[in-house]
Amino acid sequence: MERLADYIVYNLPFLQQIPRVIVDLIIMLFFATCMLLFWVALFAGITSWVERRVAGRIQSRIGPNRVGPQGFLQWIADGLKCFLKEDFVPAAADKKLFLLAPYIVFAGMFAVFVVVPFGDGLIISNLNIGIFYVLAISSLVVVGILMSGWSSNNKWSLLGGMRSAAQIVSYEIPVSLAILPVILLTGSLGMQDIIRAQGPYPWQWFAFHNPFTFIAFFIFFIGALAEGNRTPFDIPEAESELVAGYNTEYSGMRFVFFFFAEWANLYIIAALTVTLFLGGWNTPAHLYTNLFGLLHRSVDVAGTFVFILKSLFLVFVIIWIRWTLPRLRVDQMMDVCWKYFVPFSFANIVGTIIWMVLADAAPVLGYVRYILFVVGLMVPLAIAMKITRNFRLAKSEIHLNPFI
Amino acid sequence: MATTASTDAVPGFRGTYFGRIKNAIISIMEGMSVTLGYLLQRPITIQYPDRTPKPVKDTLPERYRGILELDMKTCTACLACERACPIGCIKIEVVKDKETKKRYITRFDIDIAKCMYCGLCVDPCPGGAIRHTNEFEGSTSDVQYLVRRFVPPGERIEPAKPKKKEKEEAGAEGS
Amino acid sequence: MTEFITEEMTLNMGPQHPSTHGVLRFQLTSDGEVIHSVKPDVGYLHRSIEKIAEKVTYHGFMPYTDRVDYVAAMNSNFAWALTVEKLGGYQVPERAEYLRVIAAELNRISSHLIMLGVMAMDIGAVTPFPYFLRERETINDLLEELCGARLTYNYIRIGGVSSDLPDGFRDRALRFLDHFEPIIDEFNRLITYNEIFVNRLANIVIIPREQAIAWALVGPNLRASGVKWDLRKDEPYSIYPQVEFDIPVGKGEVGTVGDCFDRFIVRVDEMRESSKIIRQCLDKMPEGEIQSKLPRQLKPPKGEVYVRSESARGEMGYYLVSNGGLNPERVKIRTGSFSAMAIMEEVSKGIMIADMVALISSLDVIAPEIDR
Ligand code: SF4
Ligand code: SF4
Repeated sequence: MERLADYIVYNLPFLQQIPRVIVDLIIMLFFATCMLLFWVALFAGITSWVERRVAGRIQSRIGPNRVGPQGFLQWIADGLKCFLKEDFVPAAADKKLFLLAPYIVFAGMFAVFVVVPFGDGLIISNLNIGIFYVLAISSLVVVGILMSGWSSNNKWSLLGGMRSAAQIVSYEIPVSLAILPVILLTGSLGMQDIIRAQGPYPWQWFAFHNPFTFIAFFIFFIGALAEGNRTPFDIPEAESELVAGYNTEYSGMRFVFFFFAEWANLYIIAALTVTLFLGGWNTPAHLYTNLFGLLHRSVDVAGTFVFILKSLFLVFVIIWIRWTLPRLRVDQMMDVCWKYFVPFSFANIVGTIIWMVLADAAPVLGYVRYILFVVGLMVPLAIAMKITRNFRLAKSEIHLNPFI
Repeated sequence: MATTASTDAVPGFRGTYFGRIKNAIISIMEGMSVTLGYLLQRPITIQYPDRTPKPVKDTLPERYRGILELDMKTCTACLACERACPIGCIKIEVVKDKETKKRYITRFDIDIAKCMYCGLCVDPCPGGAIRHTNEFEGSTSDVQYLVRRFVPPGERIEPAKPKKKEKEEAGAEGS
Repeated sequence: MTEFITEEMTLNMGPQHPSTHGVLRFQLTSDGEVIHSVKPDVGYLHRSIEKIAEKVTYHGFMPYTDRVDYVAAMNSNFAWALTVEKLGGYQVPERAEYLRVIAAELNRISSHLIMLGVMAMDIGAVTPFPYFLRERETINDLLEELCGARLTYNYIRIGGVSSDLPDGFRDRALRFLDHFEPIIDEFNRLITYNEIFVNRLANIVIIPREQAIAWALVGPNLRASGVKWDLRKDEPYSIYPQVEFDIPVGKGEVGTVGDCFDRFIVRVDEMRESSKIIRQCLDKMPEGEIQSKLPRQLKPPKGEVYVRSESARGEMGYYLVSNGGLNPERVKIRTGSFSAMAIMEEVSKGIMIADMVALISSLDVIAPEIDR
């Protein structure tokens, strides 16, 4: 960032009159806006389209199909519609908090993008405390949600806000604990370091490294779902119980910001899981390019492609889970967290440490990863078998064309 | 007021600790395979109204009870339909010309806005003059357009001659 | 130790709330998530159908019975026809009886499909709902072919039915049932035995046998509490004595008898029984008339009668007083949802808000049926 600012100030002499801090600030704001508009908005928007299309097909519907080819531009239409809507503030609401809350939620999610890697060298800021930063900054979301729930002065919103706070605070523990085995294995908190410690092939990924990281992978993924208020943990916005939870009273652009955050978060969950457990952008072969000189050094396009592909697959899995499972009750959600995830994650840490010591002594343990990889393969296989059985029993016909 | 949150009165999960984990994994996989299976199937919805292979109107069964239609040529002005309608959305006025001793229908209105498409008016009609069509898209810009006037205002139409048997029937039920 | 002071919160659930199935209102007092008391507030959908009955003819009241319970309109029609026929002593041809039972059982399946789908949706699984509705659409198509309408059928007439089976109906109905029975198993795999779903419903709001009887629960809600009581068997009407079927009762499969899960599973099983009944009726149906000769304007003799029949939501009774004229003197309708609403206040103490949602949908209340 500094290098870029230097470059701009050097080339535009009139900027030299203004104090450097302000110039830096303006440049940063400018780039943040660009990021917001062209990257996060795009991702959130496209993810929303993917989600609605997949949800449609899962439910035997078509999904959005009117705006643009195959309804692809639906998210722009929706955004525009909400943009033009009245920004309504309930009379009894705590106005300042009410107006501020969506931005805090959004900022919490948006700030995580700073350390999300997209490829070898493609990262906004390769902080050496990357994953720690993620955990810290994403807690901001709780504050925003609680604020929105409280300030709406609606009892349903309040309940939603409370549930959300309880949920996110609790699930932060198993999620952080599930990350620890990976950090132990890597010896670094940086995102790129964690990816570099893994290899391109599945059995070199941390998910299959040893039985403990295998479990940690699932705990992290499910815990992240809970932190992102996704089904089966969408308790804060449980539409059949709390109307719409903490965002009941919101309308127009502020409402969009909540959903922006939600869909951006979808991608973040996926990208973090890929980074930590599924090998990140590692590829067997590399394809370096500097994009016709646009970037100051060449990046690995193949890696970026693989990374985004893996993330999108996980996004699909999250959507798929969301449209299958019912919702837990509040106390059950806490049960799952404290009685299942937390003990298991502690066991994982201890287990990983013992494993690391043992693996040094007995290299034969390195072969366990192949076994775990085969176990992991069983899951899609089992699902495929069940699908075939379902098709046979219900005499359904297959129809693969996604564009109907 | 001090309250005791009786969360422990709410019964917990069933099964053993690990049994429940196993159950959860298996049943969630079962459920997810069902939904993924549907992702691979053809959607069953149609894109009403403009992207259906055939207009929806033409796919409706023969007995479909849509907006009412009247054939003034066969209507005998027996008023059976008016009497059968539970809502009273059929309005028929018949006048008798004093000189020619003939009956004329001066008004035959069906208020589609009130009609509940129950089909009770169709049953007693002797000549099948009043009947349901397949038409169901009846939206208009004003509710008054929903009153279907089968006799143009100011005109009078001579009803069809009832066949002998029907006349008796119509007379019998007028009791 | 100082006492921790908490404040009770009064919540208004409804009339516009996603899980109140129509327009219902509950006044909850709760301490956070735990409910202390529930006060049902009915009457938002009162359309004075009983009063209207005094102004229309006996035939003319039939379309209004569609609106008493629009999810199972055929059963409602059926009950009214039975009532007037009993009062007037009108005969019904045998073929018409079979047609009535076929239509009513198809409607019972579609009503249960709605309830199951909505219940799954209230628990948070949105996807089963379209699947259930898709099956229901096929039933609607069948009934549309039969009588011309998809929701407010007005198919059953006093002394018969309005129309005979259309061509090919039997094959299409059988094809649907062949397709539907495996689909029930698929539903079970998708949602019924899902661990989360089971945990949300098992042992939640147990209504024991005695309480269910004391509060006059009817239909599937009563059977889920372990009472084997079905008017189709215990007080047979129409041709039900001639067909074979079982009455599923709550067994406490995953929890205790009478919990929300039992109320769910009883309906799943009942759909299987209904499909059995339809198959038998389609096979046994004799040829013949479908409507007995009755005058256009019915004038049943002076007197009063109460006839009950098993609707999809349990006992549906019509109390009818006739003064010998063209219009009924008085009609009173007794519906299953109303008694289900009554018990709500009693059983919902100390449950959580999420359970409240499960309870409402498990009792399968249909707002128009409560208020009429
Ligand atoms: S369909 Fe029913 S409501 Fe409509 S005009 Fe005929 S009798 Fe009246
Ligand atoms: S019943 Fe038929 S013939 Fe008689 S008035 Fe009505 S439409 Fe005309």
